[in-house]
Amino acid sequence: MSNKKILLVDDSCTARLVNRMIFSQKSNYVLISAVDGKEAVERAKREKPDLILMDIVMPRMTGLEACRVLKKDKDTQKIPVILLTTRGEEQYVQEGYASGCSDYLTKPVNDGELLDLLKAYLGE
Amino acid sequence: MIGTGNRSRPPAVGYGGETANGNSAIPAGTEELRVRVQQLSLREQIERNHFLLMRLNAANARLIQSLDHGDVFEAIAEIIANLMGCEEIAVFDYHPEERTFSLAWSSGVEAAELQPFLTGAGMFGRAVQQGLSQFQERQAEGVLLPHEKNLTACVILKSSGEIVGVIAIFGLLPQKSNLEWADFELLKFLEIYGAVAIKFQRLQGKQVAP
Repeated sequence: MSNKKILLVDDSCTARLVNRMIFSQKSNYVLISAVDGKEAVERAKREKPDLILMDIVMPRMTGLEACRVLKKDKDTQKIPVILLTTRGEEQYVQEGYASGCSDYLTKPVNDGELLDLLKAYLGE
Repeated sequence: MIGTGNRSRPPAVGYGGETANGNSAIPAGTEELRVRVQQLSLREQIERNHFLLMRLNAANARLIQSLDHGDVFEAIAEIIANLMGCEEIAVFDYHPEERTFSLAWSSGVEAAELQPFLTGAGMFGRAVQQGLSQFQERQAEGVLLPHEKNLTACVILKSSGEIVGVIAIFGLLPQKSNLEWADFELLKFLEIYGAVAIKFQRLQGKQVAP
């Protein structure tokens, strides 16, 4: 696996910790993180990650709002965004796709499933 | 959308057919199949254990971090929410001298709904009396009190035989139908190390008090 850069966005420290462990032990992806949607938009513009993995419910700016902003900006609109959330009901999933996300995963995340999905998006 | 879920991979050697790279056919004997099934089963077990260890490692790191931040109760709730899949959680402090509870942290549950738990009756009370975590799926029929219908588990936080608190876990996330093996392991971890972290935080509070 290559050293592709992934931006992980989650206000939960535990979620960031477990994802960092999954990536560090099972892949060579370079992980950068943000704690809310606003910071995610700023980091995405500045650091141009290959993929964004983002929680929905966050302070300051939600994942859905951040996704809409990213998809409107020509510098970031091509970056695949995978929304990662506790809400698995159909209406939330539809709302997620309407925001422009590429995929939608529900928590708690299975590490194998997550890595398979990332590999598919990163062309590996 | 690329789609999620475990993708099934074709076996490298078919059932008496060609190998994956198109070489000549090798008849697959019963013994060979048995070994292959065993290998797959062991691989699955190793991967499951590895996943569990990563979750425990993350939970441990979060608890340690909470000692500096003084947010142990919030950390416990966050660990359950993110690693187990439940957003309706309450953590109670237990005061053994008075045998009373007080609410230390809750998320996703109204404070009024938690009031009946402070009486220490039902599944909640049994957990404290027996010093053992209680799970709804293991309760005898008809023993649940009306306010416990949505209660999935009462997890005792116990260190060196001393109960320091109880975690009440209510409804699981819609995509999660029941507690799984790895969830029970995570809760066992929290029973001990969550309690140790709470005790540490209490001592820290005593140190900084005037």
